[in-house]
Amino acid sequence: MQQLQAQRENGHDAEGGRSTLGSSVSEARRSHLLSIADAALGYMSLEDMLSELLERIRSSLEVDTAAVLLLDEDRGVLVARAARGLEEEVRQGVQVPLARGFAGRVAVEARPIIIADLDYADVVNPILRQKGIRSMLGVPVHVEGRVIGVMHIGTLVRRDFDEDDVTLLQLAADRAALAIDNARISEQRSVTAIMQRALLPGALPEIPGMRFSAKYLPAGSGIKIGGDWYDVFQLVNGRVAFVIGDVVGRGVLAASVMAEIRTALRAYMAQGHKLTDVVSMLNELLISMGSNRGATLSILELDAEAEELEVVTAGHLPPLLIEPDGRARLLEQKHGLPVGVRTGHRYQASRYPFPTGSRLLLYTDGLIERRGESIDEGFERLAVAACAAAAGTESSFADRVYRTLLDETPLEDDVALLAIETMPLQDTLEMTLPARPYVLGGLRNTLGRWLQAVGADESELFDITLSASEAATNAIEHAYGAREATFAIRCEHDGERVTIVVRDSGRWRTARPPSGGRGLGIIHSLIDEVSVENDQDGTVVTMTKRLTRGA
Amino acid sequence: MSPLEIERIDGVPVARVREDVDAANATTTQQQLADALGPDASSLVVDLSEARYLDSAGIDMLLRLGDRLDHRRAKLVLVIPDTSQLKRLAAIVGLPDAIAVRPSLQEALREAARSATDLDMPEQATTGGTSPG
Repeated sequence: MQQLQAQRENGHDAEGGRSTLGSSVSEARRSHLLSIADAALGYMSLEDMLSELLERIRSSLEVDTAAVLLLDEDRGVLVARAARGLEEEVRQGVQVPLARGFAGRVAVEARPIIIADLDYADVVNPILRQKGIRSMLGVPVHVEGRVIGVMHIGTLVRRDFDEDDVTLLQLAADRAALAIDNARISEQRSVTAIMQRALLPGALPEIPGMRFSAKYLPAGSGIKIGGDWYDVFQLVNGRVAFVIGDVVGRGVLAASVMAEIRTALRAYMAQGHKLTDVVSMLNELLISMGSNRGATLSILELDAEAEELEVVTAGHLPPLLIEPDGRARLLEQKHGLPVGVRTGHRYQASRYPFPTGSRLLLYTDGLIERRGESIDEGFERLAVAACAAAAGTESSFADRVYRTLLDETPLEDDVALLAIETMPLQDTLEMTLPARPYVLGGLRNTLGRWLQAVGADESELFDITLSASEAATNAIEHAYGAREATFAIRCEHDGERVTIVVRDSGRWRTARPPSGGRGLGIIHSLIDEVSVENDQDGTVVTMTKRLTRGA
Repeated sequence: MSPLEIERIDGVPVARVREDVDAANATTTQQQLADALGPDASSLVVDLSEARYLDSAGIDMLLRLGDRLDHRRAKLVLVIPDTSQLKRLAAIVGLPDAIAVRPSLQEALREAARSATDLDMPEQATTGGTSPG
């Protein structure tokens, strides 16, 4: 209270001195303010800079309080960021809803507002009243025409703010805006960079006979993080899952929701649930976690061996399938509401053939939507671009599609794009895989594809695949879960016979694991010729089986 | 990885294995199958009609599960259709010597019902090592 009293007295003094001021003094004040703003403040942290700027405003304009509140767009509130004479406003994290109260009105109406007598005004912030503030002037803080906050000053005695005061405060607000924007850009950029690294798959899986490529481009200067994401991961059953999605809203909040969704999807998929159940479970999860967690997404599962694609769409744009003959079609699904919207909603799965040579494009709306254009025109352009890109070879498929569509166009929205291609396997199939059980399903799926291509019949395919899987299981056991341990598998055929060689690096082995006996027995029963060799480098299992009808 | 779908048909728990069982998921699958028995059922049908690969880890899992059910005086019945590649594998490893294998769900349910009658004695299932038959 003593401090308040002192301020009140200062206020009186200021008021007393003010009456004698002329326009030249006003000019001096302005230059004073500007010099401070331009010279020293540029090198300070945002916190120090705002604090110093407000202090200068307080002394130049001879007021008792000065504060800056910044707009939190996601929550629709103004949050106190820096204050002088009203420090508790920042300490208590005062938040003012938009369109309410003094600061809220300044932000919404985007113009200076003067309150000559607070007693008769709509004020939300209790601190202003507790402090005994009588008169206030607030101006919007603009960046590129958008209001990003409010700067206001107040006096403990009644004061009629004039045009000069408004001009000066607006100058200060503009200076603050610049600093705030710069700080936000660099802050958000680093947050964006961290989040992107954390949320988008670092390296796409490497699976023989498949190629994945992706583009992710946030729109604008990096101030706004988009809620677009994609994901690719191989399931324990050997199939590959793809996700593309777009969280409602933007900014760090949207990105955090996207992180929640991504994690939930991976967890549900890892538990082996069906795609429709996975999306239903995610829907209920998001609803139970509260509002503002809506998203559109498509989730797909590709069985490369069965050449079949399963799709569930939740309000997202339809994936584009480019068939091996070059025809493009949209995989449209009806009735799939976005997730997080309606509890109990049932999602439906569709299946499509996905023969070798097929391509698939998953994307977010930023790729195809243009102002003043119908969505059908966007789809049409996408199909044309995808077919053109399918013919090219340079860079990646996703990159070619992206460049065909957007090279000349400034981004209006974030763009996420994921492309999947299947191609014939090499005549000799070679894979080096981590010595972990989770690779077994993928190994069988790829080997099954290869065996089909070389002409194995159903029972031969079963025998060889199961035997290779058993040999791989032994190699994995030999590694004893050692980090970095790998094993290699090589598959050859000469038209009549298939030979599979599984080689581990048994360096990690200290003693032979007890199991493996049954696996070896199975191999001997199913395969014509089997040899197991141990040397210093590890164990090599060679299996040869004659095919009844060679390729 | 839970590749299971579990339902009860005429009081008998039936677990459909929809995915491969291998070293990656054998342990969790065994646990889930054992849980599927519930506290009261005297038999469990594991339907392998839709399962494609069941490797040695999967076979070991079924044998352990059979033992475990034995201790609970319950019976394990497998469904392996005659057309399934798993039929040959089961024969190679001698699975039918240890576990009841039937070619269809109907026959497996009939087997389960029969063993339920056999086991329908006043005696309570205990944790002891006295396994029936």
